[in-house]
Parts: sequence; structure tokens; C-alpha cells
Amino acid sequence: MSEERIRRDPRAEREARRGRAPQAEDIPTPVAAEASPSGRVRRDPRAERAARTSRAAEPATAAQPAAAPESESGRVRRDPRAERASRTGRAAPAAPQPAAPAPAPSGRVRRDPRADRTAQRQAGVARAETASPVKTIADPKFLILAVPDLEDARLSSHDKDVIGAARGLADAGGGAVVVLAFTGPEGVKDGLDEAGADRALRFADVSFAGYAPERRAAAVLAAIQALNPRHILFPDTGVVGGDVGRRVAVSLGDRVASNVQRVAPDRITRRGRGGRADFALAPPRVLLIAAEAADPVIDERYEARDLPAPRIEALSHVEDRGLAATDPATVPMAEADFIVSAGNGVRDWDAFHRVAAALGASEGGSRPVCDAGHLPRHRQVGASGTLVEPRCYVALGIAGAPQHLQGISKVERVVAVNADAHCDMVKRADLAVVGDVQALMPALERIAKERRHGN
Amino acid sequence: MAIDVVVLVSIGRHPVSGRARRADADARAVELALGIAGAHVQLVHAGDPDEPALRDYLGMGANAVTVLRMGPEADPVSVLSAHLSSTKPQIVLAGTRAEGGEDSGLVPYLVAQALNTPLVPGIVSLSLVGERAEMLQGLPRGRRRSLVSPVPLVATVPVMAPAPRMSAFGLARRGTIAVKDADAAADAARTAWTEGPARRRPKRIKVMKAASAADRVRAVTEMAAGKGKVLQNVPPEEAAKAIFDYLVTEGIIQAKP
Ligand SMILES: Cc1cc2nc3c(=O)[nH]c(=O)nc-3n(C[C@H](O)[C@H](O)[C@H](O)COP(=O)(O)OP(=O)(O)OC[C@H]3O[C@@H](n4cnc5c(N)ncnc54)[C@H](O)[C@@H]3O)c2cc1C
Repeated sequence: MSEERIRRDPRAEREARRGRAPQAEDIPTPVAAEASPSGRVRRDPRAERAARTSRAAEPATAAQPAAAPESESGRVRRDPRAERASRTGRAAPAAPQPAAPAPAPSGRVRRDPRADRTAQRQAGVARAETASPVKTIADPKFLILAVPDLEDARLSSHDKDVIGAARGLADAGGGAVVVLAFTGPEGVKDGLDEAGADRALRFADVSFAGYAPERRAAAVLAAIQALNPRHILFPDTGVVGGDVGRRVAVSLGDRVASNVQRVAPDRITRRGRGGRADFALAPPRVLLIAAEAADPVIDERYEARDLPAPRIEALSHVEDRGLAATDPATVPMAEADFIVSAGNGVRDWDAFHRVAAALGASEGGSRPVCDAGHLPRHRQVGASGTLVEPRCYVALGIAGAPQHLQGISKVERVVAVNADAHCDMVKRADLAVVGDVQALMPALERIAKERRHGN
Repeated sequence: MAIDVVVLVSIGRHPVSGRARRADADARAVELALGIAGAHVQLVHAGDPDEPALRDYLGMGANAVTVLRMGPEADPVSVLSAHLSSTKPQIVLAGTRAEGGEDSGLVPYLVAQALNTPLVPGIVSLSLVGERAEMLQGLPRGRRRSLVSPVPLVATVPVMAPAPRMSAFGLARRGTIAVKDADAAADAARTAWTEGPARRRPKRIKVMKAASAADRVRAVTEMAAGKGKVLQNVPPEEAAKAIFDYLVTEGIIQAKP
């Protein structure tokens, strides 16, 4: 290889470019490399293939590094390399990093292709999800306000769609997106920057948590007064966004477009007549957005600069006595909050029912166990059963056939217990126990009875 | 003293056949009202008194429907608000959204504003304790929140509320429909809309940004991988504890302090 040529690994470079906050001293910009005399780029097909097929063990939403340094702006600077290292469970190596090689005496950059390849392989698929350079809109022509539900302080996929719709409206005319977030005292668990917020207006006070639609509407109205946004977008959900959005529209004396299916700056489509008709109209100010009406922002990062939140005085006439105890056995599967599910690996059905009851979970099952009559048919999870969306799904002795996994594709937390360490359910799980489920069920029942709150 | 409960009812459409019928959420609101001990239930509809589907509500056991007569595309809010301001019921119930027109779900909010009462959305049960209404609000994932409000109040009833009883033919025939003439302005804004049949969109499988066809194929065929903590060769007691602790830290269940 001629000395003039720099051996490049385009993928690793792309990765390096995307994953880092822009820093002046980071030399290996692609432009500089391209300027090499020959200008030819050498690729390494094998390494690329390896990178393509290797899978990251964790999605990019994994824990942030323990001590992310805070920049003067108060925003947390991410260090993708440290994150990657923490994901793969390795301490960040002290050795020279492939992404930031020291300039050689000649001033040219020397790269270490092997280290590049290693880094690539570790990044795997998660590579596509690491943060991109921050997009900033310094001087927006107008503002779009998006108000996600943030149930459990997390952005639901519906929330992300709403922010995506706001993005579309803003980007079409040089506007910016303000996300108004009722974060709860502990803050939002997902990044508003990655969801597409240029500005963030956070209300952290506990008085906005639980049942507080009047206070939330007052906060949104105060924000509207301060910022004069062109549109205000909510997810059209029953008791959160849809409710607060309607209150806001009524206070503004405006109409509201609910069940909005498509959004464009001059024309929106909303569904009516019991779901049988679409109306096209010029968008009113308040838009209640249906799920999947717009695509969420992915692979991009915006500023999410904090705006000062106004003080809100409104109070509620309605007293919130908190969540009521519900009987998990009577909750329909599609609505269940927490499911313990059994497959062919479960043989002691008595123990299964007892452990589900001790954990306060709804029961579910795979097709063969419903076929065999161990559980009623309406408990079947999967493509030909129910598509479930609990906050957590515990799969006991379920192999994880594609038809079954389809039924839990939207579940965020999966726990698997299986004798086979290589089955797909174990791969799908966030926590997997490899072992005999018959022995585990009574142990889990015992500890649940001992340590669980209430019955 | 009986408490006056008014249920606002509208005409629904069967989702497949399109035939007129009682609206699902409104029927659940009637069911909920009929279950309130000590309530005197009245039904109010703004629209066409000759609509046969109104009798579906009577068949549920309510004696009478008051119909505020107005044209099909007129705006019902002013008519309903005027009527309710004069009759002053303690509780007004309505389905969360209609299924025959714009279906904006805004009517109860505007009525609550006109009557200057609190509005409680999405309730699945209601009982009266003195001058206060104790309610359960239906949250996603089968959760319920317990709320208490003074009356008067407006509340909406979602389709997750208990199913309505069948409509009995005899009751439906015997019930009376009282007509009041009302003048309602036509809904001006609506004329600027264009209406077409609903376009079904395919369900989204996965959100991704793909540079190539190979990327797209990979994204839809690949299995979603979890965080992937695997415990192997661990005694059952310890594994059970790990699972329990995971459920507690993720906020799925609560442990005793
Ligand atoms: C058209 C079609 C539609 C289908 N729809 C569905 C559907 O909706 N839902 C559905 O679930 N399936 C569906 N299936 C069936 C699906 O393909 C699988 O056959 C089924 O999900 C397998 O169920 P399972 O995991 O319980 O059983 P198995 O495949 O028998 O797996 C049992 C698992 O238990 C483990 N195990 C065994 N003993 C123990 C032990 N002592 N301790 C711990 N682990 C143990 C094994 O390692 C194995 O992983 C469908 C199939 C078709 C063709």
C-alpha cells in the first residue's frame, strides 16, 4: 500500500462522524482524507459484512454512562463511545481510540484498520441508532407546540408520532418544534432531543402528575400565550392528550380536529362518521393526532433547549384518590398491564396459576397450551390470538415462535424462563433465566408473597 | 331526593353496514346512568325525533327521550346548553365521541363550559355519596383511577365502560319521545370540508431509515433483540429473586418497604 494512501474504512468513519459531538480537535474529517493525492478509498468488504451481520446485544436506549459530563448549557453531552462500552459491558479501553487517531508527524492521519473493525463489530446494529450531530434552528419563523402524554415519564410510540408530525409542520416552513413535557419529578426517561424537539418546556411539579387535566390545560394555555405557536398537537388519547387538547381548544374558542390521520401545512385529513369517512380541511390550531399518522423522528438529534416554564395557579375541583385495585383476571388481554404467560414448558398448572396470582399478573399462554385446554382460548397470545401490550411480559417455557413473538412485538420489557439458552424467546428477553421453569415458579411465588405490597 | 341524571344520546352507525343504531359509547353512558342508585335518568337528543334508532335507547329501560328538534348538520351545542341550563341536572353523561358525524368529542366539553361545571373524562363507573360523585376513570392497560367530584358535573363514558344491556322491543315501543323545537344555526365551518371514504392505511411494522433495499429487508425480518441479560446455572431461588427485583425496579410491581 502506497504511503500516500490512507486506508479508510468508510463505515467506521461515518460512525465516528455521527456519534460524536462536533469538536474542533477531531481531525479525521472525511474531507481531509479525500484530499489525499490518489483520492482512492480502500474498502474492506469482509469487515463491512461482519458489521452488517453482527447484532448488538442491546438497543441504543440502554443506560446512559454513569457520569455524563454536563456542558455549560446544562445539557448532558453524550459520549457514544462510553455508552457503547457500557452497553457491551466493557470498560472504555485506555488504548488509543480508532476514531481519534493522533496525527502522525507528517500531519497526516494514521489509522488502525483492525481497531476500526473491532469498534464496528461492537457497534453492530446499534450503530444506526447512535446520536447524530445536533440540528439547531436558531431563529424559527414560527413555532409548533407538541404535548406528548408521557405516561410513566416515557414517550410512547404515539407520542413520538405526534412530535414527528410537529416536525413535519415545522420543517415545511422554517419553524421549530417546542415540546411541552409534564415530566414528573424524576424527568423524562427518553431524550426529547432524539424525539425531535428544538425547544423543551418542562413542567416537573408533582401537581401535574396523576389526575390534573385542568392544571395541564392551564399550563398549555400559558405556553400558547407566551409562545404563540401556529399549531398545538396532542396525541388523541382518551384521558390524557385527547382530554387536555379539547379543554385547550374550548378555552381558545377554537375548533379542534380530532382523529387526524394525515398532516400537511395547508391540509389535514381527519376521520369521522364512526371511522367510515375522511374529511379534508385546512388545519385548525389544535390538532389531535391519531397513532401512526406521521412517522417519528429517527437517527436525528435536535437541540431540545430548555425554555423557562411559567408558574401555573389553576387548581382542580376533582379529587384524585389514586389508582384503584383491579382484578387482573378480569382485565381483557389486550388491555392487561402485566402478563405472566405459559408455554409448553409449563407442566405444573397449579403452580402457574399461583405464581400469576401472587405477582398480580394477568395470565396468558402460547397456542399449544390453549389448544390443550390448559388455558381458555381468549388467553392466547400471538398472531392468531391477542396482540398484547403490557408494560411487562413474563414468558415461562415459551420457545418464541415467530407467530408468538408477533403478539408481543410492542412489549417493552420481556422476561423469559426457558431450559433452552438458544431459543428465540431468550434472545428477545431483557432478562432471561436459563433453567427449569417448574422449579422456578414456586420460588417466585414464595418471594412475591413475602415481599409484595398488598395481598 | 332523587338526583337528576341526563344522558346526551346521539345516533350511531354500525361500523360495517352503516345502518343507524344506538351509538356504542352513548349506550354505555345510558347503562352507567341506569345503574346509579337513587338517580332519575333522562335522555336528551338534539336532532330528528323520527329517527327509529332513538327507540334503541328507550328499549334499555329509560322511560322517555327529550328530542330538541334540529336539522341534521346543525350544531347541537347551543341547543343542548340552553336546554340544560334551564333544567339544571346534577349529572350530565355523554359518550366520549359520537360515531355519525364529525365525531370530534367536543360537545361535552362545550356543554361543561356553558354550564360552568367540571368535566371528568372517561369514567367507567359512578356512584353517589351525598352530594358527591365517586367515579372510576378507565386508563389504558386496564388501570383504573378513583376520582371524587362535587355535583353538578359533566362526565364522558368511553367504549371501555361496561357493555350496555340489550334493547327490549316492548320497552322500546312503549317509551315516549317528547319533542321540543329548537333553532340551531347551521355549522358554517363544516361546509368548507371535503368528505371522502376513509382510506385504510397499512399498519406500521417498523420505523427505520434505510439506505438500501437490503437494509429494509433486514429491518423487517430481524427479530427485535432485548437487553439480553441472561442468567445461567443459577439456583431457582436466586433466579426468582433476580426476576422479582427486575419487576420492582422497572416499576411493574411494588415491594414492601
Ligand atoms: C398459522 C399459525 C398461527 C399460529 N399462531 C400462534 C399464536 O397466535 N400464538 C402462539 O403462541 N403460537 C402460534 N402458532 C404456533 C407457533 O408456531 C408455535 O408452535 C408455538 O408458539 C409454540 O408454543 P410454545 O413455545 O409454548 O411450545 P414449544 O415450541 O413446545 O416450546 C416449549 C419451550 O419450553 C421450553 N421448556 C420445555 N420444558 C421446560 C422446562 N422444564 N423448563 C423451562 N423451559 C422448558 C423449551 O425449551 C421450549 O423452548 C401458530 C402457528 C401457525 C402455523
